[in-house]
Amino acid sequence: MNRRWRIALLGLAGICLTPAIWRVATALPRFGEPSEQYGPAVNRLGPALRHVSNMVSAVNFDFRGIDTLGEEFMLLGAITGAVVLLRGARGEDLTAKAARLPGRQVIGRAESTILICRLFSPAIMLFGLYMALHAMVTPGGGFQGGVVIASGLLLTYLGEGYRGWRRLIASPVLAALEGGGALLFALAGLAPMAAGGAFMQNVLPLGTFRDVFSGGLMLVTNAGVGLAVTGGFGMLFLEFLEETRATQSEDTR
Amino acid sequence: MTVLLAALFLLVALSGTGVVLTREPRRQVFALAVNGTVLTLLFFALQAPDVALSELAVGTAATPLLFLVTLAAVRISRQR
Repeated sequence: MNRRWRIALLGLAGICLTPAIWRVATALPRFGEPSEQYGPAVNRLGPALRHVSNMVSAVNFDFRGIDTLGEEFMLLGAITGAVVLLRGARGEDLTAKAARLPGRQVIGRAESTILICRLFSPAIMLFGLYMALHAMVTPGGGFQGGVVIASGLLLTYLGEGYRGWRRLIASPVLAALEGGGALLFALAGLAPMAAGGAFMQNVLPLGTFRDVFSGGLMLVTNAGVGLAVTGGFGMLFLEFLEETRATQSEDTR
Repeated sequence: MTVLLAALFLLVALSGTGVVLTREPRRQVFALAVNGTVLTLLFFALQAPDVALSELAVGTAATPLLFLVTLAAVRISRQR
């Protein structure tokens, strides 16, 4: 199919679809005026029923907790798939040296880069921890906190280089965090059933409104998500960065 | 819709178009990261801080890194 035919086909498709698009676009609620009743209902009931002030967490970890459990295992499956595909492709040995393209100039890291990374990497990880811990009161939560911690790990890579990074990051720890977090979430769902309740029924004491440790069972599921996301993203970064290292044969060459 | 939101929507459209029109893969990764940053600002302005935080970490740090590493791995294995 040449260029003219493709443009003609695009025009024809545009003409055919325009009435439908127009109808849908004009039927949409106006910008900034949501017509859904779910949001206001959650905002009204959440603080009274669960004693938390971040309604996004209340929906994610309690009201629609089973959806999050599904997403949790989706993440676990995706990470496992990536690890199975990538691990071992460049050998299992820990030579821990980055591969170099021949003839390419190697520019060392500036001292300022190392300094900034060493200062900010722990600070960012601490901020991620803070964000994950304060899921019930302020924006953020296990997922956001976990991803922020993982990006702190990346800053360590920038500052220390591949060799130093590889020495700091232990892949079994990340794997244990990933699997353990998902297990914790599943157990938090199953434990209330053992006590005679429903799946993921919030049986723990709810605590006081606007307190860090409010929300009962949500604290456990949030911790599960935080651990799993930290481990999962860390694992993903590790396996991808493994792809850039030199294999044993190149090392000795 | 305020001026701020209108400006941010325009920036999102521009940076998104920039990602599509950038043809060099490594430059495109950075265009993608810029797009992620602008989207973060938009989500923040629309009062969705939870989504903004996720977008900031995933869209501007994780995804660009994975793309950059993939491009590096392709170059390394092509040289072999």
